[in-house]
Amino acid sequence: MLENFSFRTIIEYLPLFGQGLITTVWLSALSFAGALAVGIVLAAMNLQRSQLFRIPAKAYIDAVRATPLLAQLYFLYFGLPRLGFVLPELVVGILALSLNSGAYIAEIIRAGILSIPRGQVEAGVASGMTYVQRMRLVILPQAFKVTIPPLLGQAIVLVKDSALLSLISVSELTRAGQLLASDRFMPAEGFITIAAFYLLLYYCLKGLAGLSSRWLGLQPARSST
Amino acid sequence: MTNPSPTKTGMIDFRGVNKWFGALNVLKDITLSVEPREVVVVCGPSGSGKSTLIRCINGLETIKDGDLIVDGQRLGDPATNMAQLRTEIGFVFQSFNLYPHKTALENVTLAPIHVRKIPRAEAEQAGRDLLAKVGLADKVNAYPSQLSGGQQQRVAIARCLGMRPKIMLFDEPTSALDPEMISEVLDVMVAVAEEGMTMMVVTHEMGFARKVAQRVVFMDAGAIVESGTPEEFFSAPKTDRSRAFLSKILRH
Repeated sequence: MLENFSFRTIIEYLPLFGQGLITTVWLSALSFAGALAVGIVLAAMNLQRSQLFRIPAKAYIDAVRATPLLAQLYFLYFGLPRLGFVLPELVVGILALSLNSGAYIAEIIRAGILSIPRGQVEAGVASGMTYVQRMRLVILPQAFKVTIPPLLGQAIVLVKDSALLSLISVSELTRAGQLLASDRFMPAEGFITIAAFYLLLYYCLKGLAGLSSRWLGLQPARSST
Repeated sequence: MTNPSPTKTGMIDFRGVNKWFGALNVLKDITLSVEPREVVVVCGPSGSGKSTLIRCINGLETIKDGDLIVDGQRLGDPATNMAQLRTEIGFVFQSFNLYPHKTALENVTLAPIHVRKIPRAEAEQAGRDLLAKVGLADKVNAYPSQLSGGQQQRVAIARCLGMRPKIMLFDEPTSALDPEMISEVLDVMVAVAEEGMTMMVVTHEMGFARKVAQRVVFMDAGAIVESGTPEEFFSAPKTDRSRAFLSKILRH
């Protein structure tokens, strides 16, 4: 059964996979940074008392979470040029992932902030801190720790979602698999190899999550003698 | 709005204050004046509005009508800078509310450094002195999770004193503590009172009231039912409700 499986071809295509892997890594990293920015802004809007901020934020988050990423990607890729915005596919891809993942990250950040007990806010208020001081000195440092594990989970999702960018011909990892599949007619070799690389990325991020929780565990606030 | 009347104002002045939570009238026509350096103990059954009363003073709760004048400034007045006023008012919570990600010393120095803009070195020296004063010189670098309840509450008191407030408010400061830790907190509060701090203390610790309070205010169902010296209040309560309340808390 395996006699037809060509390891030689995989090795031959390794440089292509390597390039794809590198592209996946940096475009995911950029997208995650963008998603964090989008998420922070949305979470801040969502936490305001005024409906003026909350309604648009909630509408955006719902719209993104209710529709397939592929539809969003196609809208940006095929739709934007019709509206007069012509962007390179790589930029469109990073934009789509940032805007999509940002909606999920917004909810993670919001939940993290809301998980901080009301008494912490009151202690800050009572000592005369402004809203910004309370956020900076009291709430965010505590919320940060709570959000690290789910944020890394979202990063893993983002890396896997980045595979969709192959459909708008961004030369990332999945695209490398597609090339092998179509050039040599070897879909098994192509896709098992990219799966292995995604697994590798997954373990890297998981290791990072472990490191960060160990680092956070070392923060004395969490340790109970 | 009406101007504050020209009569002499206290440090804390409630004049016909009302507050509702929905349909519930939680503060009913409260009129109460606390003089500088006075220590007032507020007691009453649970749900009587005592905590709400003192939470109004630093604006953790807002009032519906009436006037509340604190340190000469009327709350809700656009000219009143609430954040500024709050720096003059220390508030000690039942559940301490220390910052868990900060050490005892950082808890004490955070607001002085960032709000009062006191230079760090100076704030830290003052913070160490205050922690020593509340008996925690050896816990300067401990985190709240490493401290007992009584120790946490003493840090919380030091945290308020670090702002050099004119007024200290205590919202059931010993209610969340194990019995053996209550006295260490009360001792600190007595020391603060004896230094001449203006204090309002919501508590059922009648020993504390007898020792340092000039006045005991008894509340029930949102209204001040009775007010008098601790001596009068404990030995000759004037109303049925205060008698019933005292018989319950003094029975043990």
